[in-house]
Parts: sequence; C-alpha cells; structure tokens
Amino acid sequence: MENNLLRYSNKALPKRINAAGFILMMSGFSFGIIAYFYDAQRALQNYLIMYLFLISIGVGSLFLIALEYIVNAEWSVPIRRIIEFLASLIPYLIVLALPLLIKLNIIFEWTHIAVVRDDKVLFDKSPYLNITFFVVRAVVFLLIWNLFYWLITRNSLKQDTSGDQALTKRNIKLSAVFIPCFAITITFTAIDWLMSLEPHWFSTIFGIYFFSGTIVAALSAVTLIVVLLKENNYLHPKIIDDHLYSLGALLFGFVNFWGYIAFAQYLLIWYADVPEENFWFMHRWQNGWWIVSLLLIITHFVVPYIVLLSQPAKMDHKKLKFSAALLLCAHILDLFWIVMPSSQNSSFSISWIDFVFPVAGIGIVILAFSYKAKRENLLPVGDPKLERGLNFHL
Amino acid sequence: MDNKENIALDYRYELPVVEGNLKKSDIDDLIAAPLEKKANKNFYISLALSGTALLIGVVCIATTLFNGIGVWGNNQPVGWAFDIVNFVFWVGIGHAGTLISAILFLFRQRWRTGIARFAEAMTIFAVMCAALFPVLHTGRPWLAGYLFPYPNQNGLWINFNSPLVWDVFAVSTYFTVSLVFWYIGLIPDFASLRDRTLSKTKKIIYSILSLGWRHSHRQWQHYEKAYMLLAGFATPLVLSVHTIVSFDFAVSVLPGWHTTIFPPYFVAGAIFSGFAMVVTVLLFVRKIFHLEQIITLNHLEKMNKVILATGMMVGYAYAMEFFMAWYSGVPTEQFVFINRAFGPYAWAYWIMISCNVLFPQLFWFKKIRRSTTAMLVIVILVNVGMWFERFVIIVTSLHRDFLPSSWGMYSPTLIDFGILLGSFGLFFTLVILFTKSMPAVSMSEVKAVTEGAQPQHHGVSDHE
Amino acid sequence: MNNNPLFAVAAVYDNPDKIISAVTKIANSGYRKFDVNTPYPLHGMDGAMKLKSSKLGFITLFFGLTGAATALLLAWWTLSVDYPLIIGGKPFFALPAFIPVTFELTVLLATVSTVICMLTFFFRFPANSYPIHDTQYMKDVSGDKFGVYVEAADSRFDLTELTILFNETGAVRIDQIYLPAKEVYPLFQPKFLWFLFSVFVITSIITYFSLNKLMYMEPFDWMADQQKQSVQKMSVFYSDEFGMRTPVKGTVARGFIPYKYLGQAVPSDTMKNPLPPTSSVLELGKKKFLTFCSPCHGNFADGDSRLRGQFVNPPSLHTSRARTITDGFIYHIITNGQNAMPSYSSQVTREERWSIINYLRVLQKAKNASDADLKMAKKESVSDGK
Repeated sequence: MENNLLRYSNKALPKRINAAGFILMMSGFSFGIIAYFYDAQRALQNYLIMYLFLISIGVGSLFLIALEYIVNAEWSVPIRRIIEFLASLIPYLIVLALPLLIKLNIIFEWTHIAVVRDDKVLFDKSPYLNITFFVVRAVVFLLIWNLFYWLITRNSLKQDTSGDQALTKRNIKLSAVFIPCFAITITFTAIDWLMSLEPHWFSTIFGIYFFSGTIVAALSAVTLIVVLLKENNYLHPKIIDDHLYSLGALLFGFVNFWGYIAFAQYLLIWYADVPEENFWFMHRWQNGWWIVSLLLIITHFVVPYIVLLSQPAKMDHKKLKFSAALLLCAHILDLFWIVMPSSQNSSFSISWIDFVFPVAGIGIVILAFSYKAKRENLLPVGDPKLERGLNFHL
Repeated sequence: MDNKENIALDYRYELPVVEGNLKKSDIDDLIAAPLEKKANKNFYISLALSGTALLIGVVCIATTLFNGIGVWGNNQPVGWAFDIVNFVFWVGIGHAGTLISAILFLFRQRWRTGIARFAEAMTIFAVMCAALFPVLHTGRPWLAGYLFPYPNQNGLWINFNSPLVWDVFAVSTYFTVSLVFWYIGLIPDFASLRDRTLSKTKKIIYSILSLGWRHSHRQWQHYEKAYMLLAGFATPLVLSVHTIVSFDFAVSVLPGWHTTIFPPYFVAGAIFSGFAMVVTVLLFVRKIFHLEQIITLNHLEKMNKVILATGMMVGYAYAMEFFMAWYSGVPTEQFVFINRAFGPYAWAYWIMISCNVLFPQLFWFKKIRRSTTAMLVIVILVNVGMWFERFVIIVTSLHRDFLPSSWGMYSPTLIDFGILLGSFGLFFTLVILFTKSMPAVSMSEVKAVTEGAQPQHHGVSDHE
Repeated sequence: MNNNPLFAVAAVYDNPDKIISAVTKIANSGYRKFDVNTPYPLHGMDGAMKLKSSKLGFITLFFGLTGAATALLLAWWTLSVDYPLIIGGKPFFALPAFIPVTFELTVLLATVSTVICMLTFFFRFPANSYPIHDTQYMKDVSGDKFGVYVEAADSRFDLTELTILFNETGAVRIDQIYLPAKEVYPLFQPKFLWFLFSVFVITSIITYFSLNKLMYMEPFDWMADQQKQSVQKMSVFYSDEFGMRTPVKGTVARGFIPYKYLGQAVPSDTMKNPLPPTSSVLELGKKKFLTFCSPCHGNFADGDSRLRGQFVNPPSLHTSRARTITDGFIYHIITNGQNAMPSYSSQVTREERWSIINYLRVLQKAKNASDADLKMAKKESVSDGK
C-alpha cells in the first residue's frame, strides 16, 4: 500500500494557470497603485478588503487543518494537502500587511489625535486603539499564524517521506493549542481591522461573525479547488463524490451558521434599538446601502441554501462549483459591506477601484497554490489515516 | 480494565466502538438485562431518594400555587431569579441529548451509538423539568392556554414580537421533536424486545409500542431517510431553542444582558452543561448495568474533549463580554462587570469562573480525561458552575441596573430551594424509571457498529 | 400449521456479505415480492434490492414550507391586520421579530409530518398481524441474524429453485412461513358490544362530571367566580344586598348637558335658536314635526288632533301668542312640557327641537303671510320664469 502511494508524484498545475494568476495579480496591483493616487481612502479600503479576504482563506484553511487533526476526521485526509496549499498564503500576509500598517491614518478615524482628544469615548479607548499597540497586535498575530503554519505543515510534509505516526500525534497537539490561539487572534483581527473602522460601535459577537465568514470562505475555496482538480483528473481516483458530499455538507452547515450569527447580531441591535449601537446598521441601510445589505443576504445565505439543500446537490459538481464561487464573492461582498459604509458621509457607489484589489487577491491565491503544487505532493502520501480516508464511503 | 492505555494509538486503524469482541447476541443480552431482571434493592433505594426529592418539590409547588409567587424570593428589582435560572439550566442540559443524537449523527461519528438513546431520554426529561418553571412563574398557570393564539372575546392575540412567546413555540417544538426522534429510535428496539420476551403482558406492550415493526429493509430505507431528515432538522432546532432562550435577555437594554454574543454563548454553554450531566449519569449507568464495553472509556474521553472545547468557548464569551464592556465606554456596562466580580454576589461569580473555566482545563491531560473519578468530580463542578452562571447573569444584572435608588438584594426562600431540589428529583426519578422500562442503549445502532456488522464490499454509488 | 397456505419461504444468514450476494441474486432473477429483514440496516442493501430512493424528503419539504407560510400568515394577520399594536416602536409587520416563530413552526410541521406520513402511509403501521411475526425467523432477525424471504404470491415463485439458491449462497437455515389461520371477528360479538357500552357509560360520566360538576369546584371556578362585584350579583357589602346601586342625585350620563330651566313652568330665561332656517334644517324639522307633533297639533299646526278625543286637544299654534313667543320659549315647552303636553326631550334631540321650531315658524308664516310677503313671493316666482 505505502509504496504504491509514494509513487504518486506531485503534479504541477498547467502553466496557463500560473500565467493567469500572475496576470491577475500584476494587473490588480498596477491598477491598485493608480487607484491609490486617484482616491487614497477608497483604494486603501479595498486593499484592506483584499487583505482580510486572504486572511480568511489562509488562516481559515489552517483552522480547517487543525480541526481535522483534533476531531480525528478521516474523509478529509486525502485533500488535506490542498488545504495546506491554501494555508500557504499565511507567510505572504506579512508583506501584504505592510502598506496597511504604514497608512493606517487614511482609513482609521481613531489614528487622528485631534479627533480622539475631543471625543471622550475615543479617548477612553485609546489605551487599546492607538497605533503602536495596533501594529504590535497585528504583527504578533501574523507571527503566531506563521509559527503554527510552519510547524504543522512541516510535520505533514515530513510524514510524506517518513510515514512516522508520531508526527500525526505532534500535529494533533499543535492543533489543539492552535485552535484557542486562532479564536483569540481572529477575534481581535476582526475587532481591530473591521470593528474599529467605526470606533464608536461595538458588538461582542463580531469576532464570531468574522469567524463564520472566514470559514465559509476557506471551505468555498477548498471545495472549488477540489472539484476543479477532480474534474481535471489531478486527484487520486479514490477521492469520490462521497468526499465531495462531506465538503458540501460542511459548506452548507457553515452557510447556515453565518446566517444565524448575522441574524442574531442584527435582531438584537434592531430590537433594543439603542442609539449607541443601531447607527452601524443604519449606515448600512440608508443612502442606498440597502441594496448591498439585501444582496448580501441573498448571495451569502438564500441562494446557497436553496442550491445546496438536497442531499444529491451536495455532491453535484456543478452546484458545488457554483455555490463555492458565489460564496467567495459573497465573502468579499460581506467585507465590502462592513468596510465601505464606515467612511464619513458615504452613500452607496461602486467604482472601478472596488474591483481592482479583489482581482489581485484571486491572483495571489492562484499563484500561491500553484507554487506549492509544483513542489509538494497533492496527496499526503505518508499519513497513516490515508488509506482509511481513501476508502471512505458515506 | 480502565487504565490499560499505554499502548500507542495506531492511526491506521479506527478505534473499536464496542470493546471486548462482543457478539451481537451479547449486546442484546446486556442491554435488555435490566428490563428482564427483577428490580433489586439498589433500584428501590435510589428511587426512594429521588422520589423524596420529587415529593419535596411537589409540596413546594403546591404551596406556590396556593399562596402565590410571594412565597418565592423574587422582589423588585430582582423580578426573575431561581425560576428563570432553573429554566435556563434545565433547557441547557437537554441540549446535549439532541446534539449527541442529531449532530454527531450528521457528522457520522459512530461512537454516538452507545450513548445516544440515554442522552435523548435525558433531553426529554430535562425539557420536562425546564417547562415547569416558565409555567409556574406566570403566577396563574391554569391560564397557560392564553399563551396560544386562539380567537377570543377580547379580540386579543399573543405578542409574536415577544421572546417569551418565542420561548413557548421553541420549547414546545423542541419537546415534541425530541420525543418523536426518541420514539422513532426506540421502535426497532421495542420490536427486538417483543421478539425476545417470554412474558405475555410485556409482549403485548412491546407489540403495541413497536407498531408491528418487522425489521424489513424496505422500511429501514425510509426509516434511515426519516432519521437523517429529523437529525437535519433537530440540529438547527437545538441551536434555535437556546438562542431564543438567550433572546429573553439579550433583546432588553439591560447592561450585562443586552450583548450580541448571547446566542452562541448560551448554545455553547448549554452543550457544555448538557455533556457534563450526560457524563455524570453515564458514569453511574455503565457501572450499575455492566455496560462498560459499550459505553467505553473512549466514549467518555471524547465527551470530555467536547466539554473542554465548549468550556473554552464559554470562557471566550466571558472574556469578550468583559473586553467589550471596557471597550464600549458605557459606564453602566462597565459597572455591571465590576459588580459581578467584586460586588455582593462576587462569591457566585468566582464559583462560576473556577468551575466553568479553570477546572475543565484539567481535561487537557489525557490521564484525567480517562480517569472516572477525576472526571466525575470535574463534571459535577461544571454543572454547579453552569447553574451559577445563569444565577450571576440574571441576578447581578437585575439587582443593580441603571438607577441606584432602585438597587436591591435578592435571597432565595426555602420554597425556591425546594422546587430546585424537586426538579432534580423529577429528573432522576424519570431517569431511574427509564432505565428499568426501556433499553438505555440503542440495541440496533450498537449492533450496527460492531466489528463485522456491515458487509465488507459494497458498491460506490448506492444512491440514485 | 401445515393446513394453512404457504406465505413465503425464508432463509436465515449469519454473515452480512452472504446475504448481500443472496439478495442481489434474487433481485437479478426477477423476483419482485420479496423482502429482507435485518436487525439494523445493512449498507449496500438498497442497491442489492434495486430499491428506488425514498420520496420522504418531498413530504418534509412541503410541510416545512407550509409551516413557514402558516407562521408568517398568522403573525401578519394577527399583528398587522386584525389588531395592530405598536410594540416597542416597531412596525406592525416586524419581520425580524417574526423569524423565530416561523422557524420553529417550520421545523415542527416538517418533522412531525414526516414521521406521521412515514408510519401511516409508507409503513401502514400498526401492523402486528403480519405473517412473519411470532416465528423463529422473526426472533432470529430481531437479534443477530439476517433474513430474506420470497413470497409465494410472486409470479416466479418456485420452492425448489429458491431452496437451491439459498443453499448456494450459504444460508444457515431455511424456513417455511405460513399465513395464520383466518380469524373471523363478527362485528357484534357480545364482548365488543359490552366494551362499546362501557366506553359510552364511562365517557358520559366523565363528561357530565367535568362539565357540570368539576367546572364549579375549586380551583376551576376561580375564573368564573371572582371576588369582584359582577352585574346582578348579590352584594356582600351593602345591607340591602343590591350590587347595583342607584346613582347619586344629580348624576348625569357622560356627554350629557342638563337643561338649565328644567322644572320651571315659566323659564327664568330662554335660549337662542342656534340653527338658521336652511333647507336641510327645515327638511329635518318637517319630518320630525310630522312624526312627533302632528298627532296632537295636526299636520299644519291647526290643533286638529287626530287622536279623536283620546287626548286633550291642544290649541292652534297660529294664535298670536304662539307667533309672538320666542323660539327659546317654544324650546322650553318641548323640553319641559306644559300643562297636558309631556316633555319630549327623550324623543327629539336638541338639534331636532330647534329644527321643528324653524319649521313651525314657516307654517305660521304661511298661514299669516302679509301682502308684502305674497308680493315678494310672486315677484320671485315670476322672475324665475316657471
């Protein structure tokens, strides 16, 4: 068994995929630089959306890997390497964060000392919301994510050649420690980068809200890539519709979870209707933003729910690809919906700048993935659970 | 037998769900044994104990009904106290059952088979105990019919905007669906018991209860579909029920209550306390009924891991609330949290923190996860801690809210304690009677997950 | 047992793979009326039996949607249409607040309907008299063995062929299952009739007791019999035991303004007529005059009563006295009454009284018009050109 699998060599993706990724990224960034000189705030806001989108996919994928280890899942073992490739976005985040960390004052109101001095609420928050601490937090989180990424994937890669079961045990322990760290870091990432855009507002569930969107995005990316790879015969033939069903069911479940969290947050603030909270949602309804709010509910919840509801739908290639792609766009829309209305006196408008950075982001994902696919096995050939995973049936 | 866990785990092979190479007939014999043997002294003693607790509760409830809510300690400003604390406590405990039956089923975790039946029964009993409290606390429970929308002379309707009405729908739906789910699971077992029993009366009873189930695969096909549909519905249902219970508090404007994290926080807390209660009860059941090979240490360890995970979620929620209270800059919100930790009810707060956040951390250690004594202590502490969590949330937020001139203190009366004791009495009486009248473990499901139970080779696509 | 017709031939297996291959063979051989009995569902048996997938999901979907629609319609009708109340400043149709109840009702209807439909329509339960019950075969498949049987009613049924097939596939035992002896249950057996009768008696007693006795016992009568003073209930407070008391002297009905000069034969002052003699006022006055005044005063106020002496004839209202007294004085007479004329305040409203007075003035004018008035009228009618 093991010799057979070890001969399953890595398959690089076709060159045109790499080229497409490169073109998307370069064009995205070129237009992005132009956009920055055209409208710095809008450009930086969209850059922030791209950055958080990449965090969602990268760190979210690492979470999925950790989850697989601690619940001892077997069906996801054959596709775990694909998830690891997506997690390889994590090291690039350090570089990508730099433009934001340098230019925080363009998008964050609380960076302006004059504003903070005159506003008691912001002044009282300043021990937390100040540039130094903010940057320290961002850097520490990036370091934590990188540390766990490197440790976990290094063990997984080592296992390809050694097949040592102790590596699985070590990864389980690492995963168990990573998950609470992930909870804290992703929560404060959301609070720092998203909630503090409107620094007078607060919501205790916000971290969980961002988490739910993150997992939906990560799962969508994984699902889309797995289905595409399977259709193009890149995957082991024993990875069958039953595996896809599990992905589809997880995706459906987390779509429900996002809807539940989003609704819970909205209902409570709507119901109590206290002025210190409700303005955040009012900003996202007035001045034309209601279109985006409704579009968000429809694309992020209603349509995927209906498409993926039935059992056969969850392993149907077309429906999975459609839902996954739609949900990736929906996650970007979610971030757009949170970020854009926070600038002062903004009514809803779309500009070419809003498309520039998401395009670049998709390019980065493709490039990161194909870079890894060239160098590592698409299948974790040394994993002791691999055979069980490949023989998985519903 | 419990501690021979020094052999390293081999990840190539799945852990056996049933240990000891039990044959299917052994499983039937083991599970049916309590139903076929005569009750012994221990049964009657335990029944007497729980029955006494129940009777005390009945007396206290009768006192309440006759004299009114004034015999409780509720006052202004603490209008909700033991009544709602106990309600949320019991509803939370019920959630573990549905989670084990439905959610673990959807995740295809085969180890749920040994514990699902018992957990489902516990859900039903816990919901019955829970339902007692909102009904009693209305003051005139004989008018409870008013809670349902029916045309009446006053032309009035119920207030669909109120979370208390949502509770009515949620808890009744939860009870009905849990009951149906539990009963469906019992049908094949009643059929097996019907075919095993030698007593004529029992045969008639089981025949009626099993509705004539004959284990036909044509029926199993629909049955499995229905089971999956029910599990698929029960999952969001269980989340929604405790969410709606959390809405009772979160839709208000009270500091300490109005916070958006309440829905998932309450759900995590419910699973946390529910699993703790399941582990508590199962530790005794497996010992008394010799089911250690079906409800194994692996089952208990997995449940302890869930307890650890959900306990950390609860701890996360505490931390989030605390941080946001500071971050928000709202002085009343900040005061609530300072008052919780250092005010007159600080003792309750610190019991809650230690029992919910600190002690479960011991479950990081495998040795403690697999030690029956240690886990018994920890899970009982978890139950205590979760009761106190509801107490802290409700009483501390009410006793000191916006207007200092309205601040007050709350102390429970003996009747309050009596009803709480009575609810435990009701719960354990029902559990004890259940173990003697129905199979505490699902016979068909456990047989289905033994070694060699399923065919080795079956086609890839069984589904059309 | 052998006297009864054969229902089916059954085979018992103790290995799941063996029964799967046996069932596959049976399905492929063209048998249709066969069934498989296992203590738990075996994976792959659906395919072996060539079963079509279960349609139960459609019922769930249908009833789930019904539940959602019901809840939304109920909340919309009760709170937005029938008795709208402003609750917490929220709009009448507060969709976010309706979601929880909608969700619960969806789940409730979907799950309960699925189970009930499955048990009644798909399974046709209860079915305790199926031929395979109470056989050794049933005992085996309930416990730890797997079984398959082919019914004798199947068109391809052949006992020898099936026995060979079962033996080839490794059956542990082969049984023959017979239909139970037909039991005849005449409808009107004595046992059943006594049962009906006793049910009738017990139901009647319980119903009578609950409705006629129980509802009047404590605590069920607490709602009906409350301590408050109800209409026509005996009073435990007043010595005369009347719950309903006469109002205090001088009490007036809400909105009622008392007439100041009531009871005075000659009023100390009179009121001014607030109504101008417009055509609508005069129409009203004429109508009411003819209804209430004309029986005694005559249709044209001549005093020609049509009561034929049953009541005192009033004087004509065209006397100089009647023409000179003020409108207010006439109002006083109508309201207070005068001599034999009773008060008409309860029959004509104030507005109607003034209207009657305006009409009376018209009648008086008609009977006592001066030349100048006639000339005026003639001039107007000529100039109208009609």
